[in-house]
Amino acid sequence: MASEAGEGSTAGMDDYETLISTTDVELLKKAWRNEKAAPEILRFETSLIQRIRGQIQLMEENIEEFAGSGIDPLTVSLYQMDLDRTQYLFRSYLRIRLQKIEKYMFHISKNPEVQSRLSEQEKGFARRCADDMERHLEESVLSKLPDNYQDTVKQSIISEESDMRFSWF
Amino acid sequence: MQEEGLDVQTTRSADHYGALIHHLSLVRNKRCLMAYVYNRAETIRSLIWKVGPVLPQEIQEKLSHTEEDYFKKHAGTLQSYMSRLDLDVTVDMVPPKDPYIQVRVLDDIGVVLSDDKTTNFARHSMHFLKRTDAEQFISRGLMEELTG
Repeated sequence: MASEAGEGSTAGMDDYETLISTTDVELLKKAWRNEKAAPEILRFETSLIQRIRGQIQLMEENIEEFAGSGIDPLTVSLYQMDLDRTQYLFRSYLRIRLQKIEKYMFHISKNPEVQSRLSEQEKGFARRCADDMERHLEESVLSKLPDNYQDTVKQSIISEESDMRFSWF
Repeated sequence: MQEEGLDVQTTRSADHYGALIHHLSLVRNKRCLMAYVYNRAETIRSLIWKVGPVLPQEIQEKLSHTEEDYFKKHAGTLQSYMSRLDLDVTVDMVPPKDPYIQVRVLDDIGVVLSDDKTTNFARHSMHFLKRTDAEQFISRGLMEELTG
């Protein structure tokens, strides 16, 4: 009886764990960890992000209701805590991706495979970043150089390929 | 050289070497300059994340005009991304330990409207604020968090 109950409870635990591991928050945690550790930008989890946004909004509304309806304030602050943590993960995920885009802006603009891993808004961000940077380099350096050397990508027009060798190109 | 009818590719006169040295040093200078400007631009971008879209005076005087332009443009790019997404990514920079934190005000901020309350942030007063509200003040150095 005891062993049966023991097995029953471990089977129950397994179910609980599999249930927990597929919640959106767990998926977000996984995506966040992957993004943090990977040196290059990974595929954007469009559907996950949309679902999480919806859930966050729902949670916020619930908390406001609870705060007004006299439920134990400790419970409310626990829900608030949980919501804060989820929001942190969400924002941090987007932030890490933005910082990676900033780092590799020229590589992204030349490489369509990497571009396919960005969301629509991120693609716009990457394009503007690269444009801003080109404008900045042109104004500060290239316009002061003689004519044949004014390209960002080639060292001079007689170079046969894009040989302006920076580690980020 | 062309007037003399010599083959341009293979004639090695003094002019050729002079031109070659000029070209190589030009290219090297170009590389150095671009690396300098690019690395400064990288530092400037990291400033946006640390300090926010407005620069304090001591940093601003160290930037050239082009760099100030670049800073404003980049802050604008980030702002447009955030507004397209309808989400502020620059708050919430550290993992949360508590939904509310205690802060002490360092500089006079005066009366501030937040959510539904108006609070008077006088110097050296302590407040119990929501984390996201306090963060912008903390990152600008106007408040400090009391962790003790």
